[in-house]
Amino acid sequence: MIVAEKKPLVEIAEMVKPYKKVLNIGCGGCTSICLAGGQKEVAELTRELTREFGNRGAEIQIHELTIERQCNAGFFDILDGMVADYDALLSMACGAGVQFVADRYQSKPVFPALNTSFVGFDKDVGWFEENCRTCGDCVLGETAGICPVTRCAKSLFNGPCGGTRSDGSCEVDTDTRCAWYEIHQRLKSQNRLDLIMKVRPAREWVNQMRRSLIQEPYKDRYAK
Amino acid sequence: MSAPVDQEQIKSMLTAHRSKMKRYLSHCMHCSLCAESCFLFTKNNGDPQYMPSFKVLNSLGKLYEKDGRVDRAFLEKIKPLVWKSCALCGRCYCPVGVDVPAMIAFARGICRSQGVFPDDEQSWL
Amino acid sequence: MALFVEFIKGPMVWISSAVFLGGLLVQVWRFFAITRKKKPLYQPAAAKPKEKKPAKKTKQKVPSGDKLTIEAINRRLQPLIRITDKQWNNLENTIFRTHPIVALVTVVFHLLLFIIPLFLLAHNELIRGALGFSLPSLSERLADTMTVVLLMCGSFFLLRRIFVRRVRAITTAWDYFILLITLTPFFTGFLAFHQWGDYPTVMLIHILSAELVLILIPFTKLNHMVYFFLYRLLIGSEYSFGQGKRVW
Repeated sequence: MIVAEKKPLVEIAEMVKPYKKVLNIGCGGCTSICLAGGQKEVAELTRELTREFGNRGAEIQIHELTIERQCNAGFFDILDGMVADYDALLSMACGAGVQFVADRYQSKPVFPALNTSFVGFDKDVGWFEENCRTCGDCVLGETAGICPVTRCAKSLFNGPCGGTRSDGSCEVDTDTRCAWYEIHQRLKSQNRLDLIMKVRPAREWVNQMRRSLIQEPYKDRYAK
Repeated sequence: MSAPVDQEQIKSMLTAHRSKMKRYLSHCMHCSLCAESCFLFTKNNGDPQYMPSFKVLNSLGKLYEKDGRVDRAFLEKIKPLVWKSCALCGRCYCPVGVDVPAMIAFARGICRSQGVFPDDEQSWL
Repeated sequence: MALFVEFIKGPMVWISSAVFLGGLLVQVWRFFAITRKKKPLYQPAAAKPKEKKPAKKTKQKVPSGDKLTIEAINRRLQPLIRITDKQWNNLENTIFRTHPIVALVTVVFHLLLFIIPLFLLAHNELIRGALGFSLPSLSERLADTMTVVLLMCGSFFLLRRIFVRRVRAITTAWDYFILLITLTPFFTGFLAFHQWGDYPTVMLIHILSAELVLILIPFTKLNHMVYFFLYRLLIGSEYSFGQGKRVW
């Protein structure tokens, strides 16, 4: 699933403030599942914006609607009949959804209310972890289902660096497990260690730590 | 496609998750407070068919009521309830704490086990 | 008949109370038996440090926000509590916003369901007679008013079931039975207190229905009395109170 996070309210307000009538569109797909852009968040953002503009004394109408997906033309029936009434559209979908909406209604300014974060899975309620960097050349079959591109801090492709700690954690961040240590352990348990000997040609990876995200309202649950 | 429904298989699936699913079903107080949390309910102008509890009571609820003794026509009848009327976005609210998405997913699994799933070109899940 | 009445007034009270308490205990035990503790996860890197509670007496600036709501409420409640923006936002995400009346009626109804029978003077006199101690009692006038409120809340649910389309769509005969049998002890208690109707009959129905409710609670959907807490406190979900320590 695509995981996204709400932009700061002020940033959203700045984007839509030149318009009188704005439609806030939620997405019932990934961003709903990751608790960032579903009906509830749409209602919440609409309230916050209305309040914000009310405090500023600006007369801006914000309406809301959530559709099944913003990345598929099959779900735009109701929306097609509505957009003409609005000066601008605010999308609570991922980057793909925002672009789909913008392509469909080319005469309307479309603004993203979310920052698309990563492709990942639910670790717990409201807590998501990146597990795929959509590199386009999947090696999971040879790495025991553990992605070295996403989960190794250096995205190393041919075994660990020298920084694996004795407890199997990563030198970059002790809370992160060394991906190659994990790959070795799992391949060993499956008697497939020969796979680790294969040499893969180098690629150019952008150095990034594995990302994780807790939606704002759930931060209290996991407070340290 | 017209093969008879394997009632024994449905029954064993129902039994395997009985303690969880039956509890959830029996704890639905039929209060309808889940309705607004479903964006499909809102989008479809408050049609009760889209209420999370309605979908679950009339699919999985009926399966348990009939104890798995259902025919293909029944599964075809609940198909739109568990697929087309639900995006499985997992956001249903229940005051008691009933996990509606888990029940829809389970009902889908039972349908799937009998080869009942959206397969036309218009299907989107 | 006299023997039956004696049985209903005597041993049956103890039997139904025992079934009620024992049944609920079994339900709780079953819940813990079929759920297990969630595997502990590591601390997420994105977790924020725990907020230190601000010192109690500090004068907070009135949070910016809806002038007509938070500020107005805060001004009224000044000496008691202060609602922060965040708390207000959280409240707005609940049914207290989507269905303020239903939510309020629900809360009042459920509170009164416990308060009235437990703190009723007449009940406490009986308990003192039987056990030698009793709970504090409400004044009879207050209890009477509360009963009227409860019956009104109950009628509200009943009318909802009959007239609101979406509630009707999922209502079964059993729902009516459960609601009416729950209200019967309160209604007959109200009649008995005012000495309306044939007192012995009213009293018999009162006791009989109350015993029936007690027996029904652990075995019907009425056991949401404990499952509400088990589900919302212990099973993690978007709407759980807290992290949720158990999984199925």
